[in-house]
Amino acid sequence: MFVHNFQYMFKVLMRNRMLIFWTFAFPLILGTFFNMAFSNIESSEKFDVIDIAVVDNEEFNNNVNLKNALAALGDSKSKEQMFDIQYVTEAKAKKLLEEDKIAGYLLFQGEKQKIVVAESGINETIFKSVVEEITQTVDVVNAVAQNEIKQQMEEGNLQGMDAATAEKIGREVLERVQGQEVSIKNISRKNLSYTMIEFYTLIAMTCLYGGIIGMTAMNQNLANMSSNGKRVAMTPSNKGTVVLSSVCAGYVIQLIGIVLLFLYTIFIIKVDYGKELPFIVLLALVGCLAGLSMGIAIGALVKAGEGAKIGIIIAVTMLGCFLSGMMGITMKYVIDKNVPLVNQLNPAGMITDGFYSLYYYGAGSRYLFDVISLLIFSAVLLLLSFGNLRRVKYDSI
Amino acid sequence: MANVIEVKNLTKEYKELRAVDDLSFEVRQGEILGLLGPNGSGKSTTINCILSLLNFQKGEIQIFGQEMKPDAYSIKRDIGVVFQDVAVFEELTVYENLNYFCGLYVQDKETRETYIDEAIALVGLEEFRKFRPKKLSGGLLRRLNIACGIAHKPRLIFLDEPTVAVDPQSRNNILDGIKMLRDRGATIVYTTHYMEEVEMICDRVMILDKGKVLAQGSCDELKKLAKIEEKVTVEVAKLQEAILEKIRALKHVEEVKYEDGVLSVVYRAGTNNLVKLIDFLETEAISYSKIYSERPTLNDVFLELTGKELRD
Repeated sequence: MFVHNFQYMFKVLMRNRMLIFWTFAFPLILGTFFNMAFSNIESSEKFDVIDIAVVDNEEFNNNVNLKNALAALGDSKSKEQMFDIQYVTEAKAKKLLEEDKIAGYLLFQGEKQKIVVAESGINETIFKSVVEEITQTVDVVNAVAQNEIKQQMEEGNLQGMDAATAEKIGREVLERVQGQEVSIKNISRKNLSYTMIEFYTLIAMTCLYGGIIGMTAMNQNLANMSSNGKRVAMTPSNKGTVVLSSVCAGYVIQLIGIVLLFLYTIFIIKVDYGKELPFIVLLALVGCLAGLSMGIAIGALVKAGEGAKIGIIIAVTMLGCFLSGMMGITMKYVIDKNVPLVNQLNPAGMITDGFYSLYYYGAGSRYLFDVISLLIFSAVLLLLSFGNLRRVKYDSI
Repeated sequence: MANVIEVKNLTKEYKELRAVDDLSFEVRQGEILGLLGPNGSGKSTTINCILSLLNFQKGEIQIFGQEMKPDAYSIKRDIGVVFQDVAVFEELTVYENLNYFCGLYVQDKETRETYIDEAIALVGLEEFRKFRPKKLSGGLLRRLNIACGIAHKPRLIFLDEPTVAVDPQSRNNILDGIKMLRDRGATIVYTTHYMEEVEMICDRVMILDKGKVLAQGSCDELKKLAKIEEKVTVEVAKLQEAILEKIRALKHVEEVKYEDGVLSVVYRAGTNNLVKLIDFLETEAISYSKIYSERPTLNDVFLELTGKELRD
């Protein structure tokens, strides 16, 4: 039964022209436009070092790790220089910002740090992200060091500690930090690219357009949604088996769509996804699941015509992609800064944030958080949908 | 004759509207039961309740002697349903549609192939096996819809207005097919608005309105419920009001109309009414041409029972 239904649902979905356009053709067309529009920008723009300021106060000077990390990123002799840093008073920093001479400044007040920027833009986003990452790394280093020292104290090793022991502790802390793959070495601008960001949102959009497949598969199996659903409901087939096989067929089609997009962007328009490609693919697979779940939920829970449901999915997807930066990457920063909850609940936001995380920091904790968020998002929608599907009779059809 | 379906005290309400009102009836094995009723009379709701697609507030439904439930797969295996709306996949060919739906009942591929061939032959779609539904005419599409509902050889078939928007040739083909299914032993529940279809194929008819059974029986039994006995129609070139008054005064005459040279006289009872009217016209020296008599039709009974006011 599962195989029979899977085979026919696969045929039905693959032959649905409208569905194939939105999930297969539209992303390729949009990708082509992105390539045409942004490749010139890319080649004409070189990355410039970002001018920032740091308020040189006692709190900042006490934060040795952060100070050193910033100094490394501001080293004008290094090829990896990211910032041109001025260490100034708060008043001077404000003045520099007002005169538009810096992208922003970092101010320590007590134990809290504050990033002040005048506007939202790529430089401001990088500044904010890098400082957050350094802070996160420093916190991890401190936590590991404290644990190590505590352990050594418990073992009585710190009494009369000599230089060799201290060095040993320091080395172990370093190894543990590296073991957690949290290191500022990943903060690099070598792959920084507007085009890449647009392609990441394109992948997010393709994942979410898979919702149309999920919704169509659902509609065909529910008695209160379609005539075919009524006919299927009257067969002696287990509803769970029929729905599950249909959803699996939909997911396979979605994967074909995303693979096509990757092949097209990698081999035809020569997008370089870098060394993180396996993680990008993993995120795309989870994103596809989120898109499919969204479609299943809309298919199962919204009582409206198929056209209206497609409209809802396209609208939700486009709005989500807009809020996560597809039509202008500053939007993501604005939303993250002012209403972070929006992009935390927005599947397109989760997918693009996952890509940003990979883009800036590699496959670290933030990437993992985004993957898990997408899985939770999918699980919640699937539970709600299947809860509704458990209904075996309807009040009206 | 054993009952295939038994419905007892079925009540279905939509908020304040009672769509089916304490309905009880049975369907006997091997018969074609016609469900007649105006729009909104509760026909489709009754069928959907019987099929366990709809919740209902009260009542008991048994099919093949067992309680009908959504997971009563052994019962569903022997039921075929042809819904009013065409339920086929636009993306699949005629053969693929049949193979898909039949495959949800019949696992064995060889048996399925045989069943599909028989269903295609029954509805006359042999030449259209590789056609997609969009390429089929309305009549052919309806035939495919029927084939998808009956390909697995069910013992009980529900046909909900299967001939809507179908040309007369296709309709006759469909009705012949339905009779053939009955002759092969299937029990059929058939809903329609077309009285002539009911008269052609139904062994028994149930007239529903406002969720209640108004009358049931064979077509002949139902016609006896009509208040009129006979309607005589005569073509008369010219007729004066005084003559019309005399006709109204004749015995058993219920209603007299004269329009565009056609005289219609409805009798509520009596025998030889036609002969008596001819005698009267000759006595009055009124020349006439065509003259004929009609017995009451099922349509007359239906309108008498359900009223002549327009429905949605």
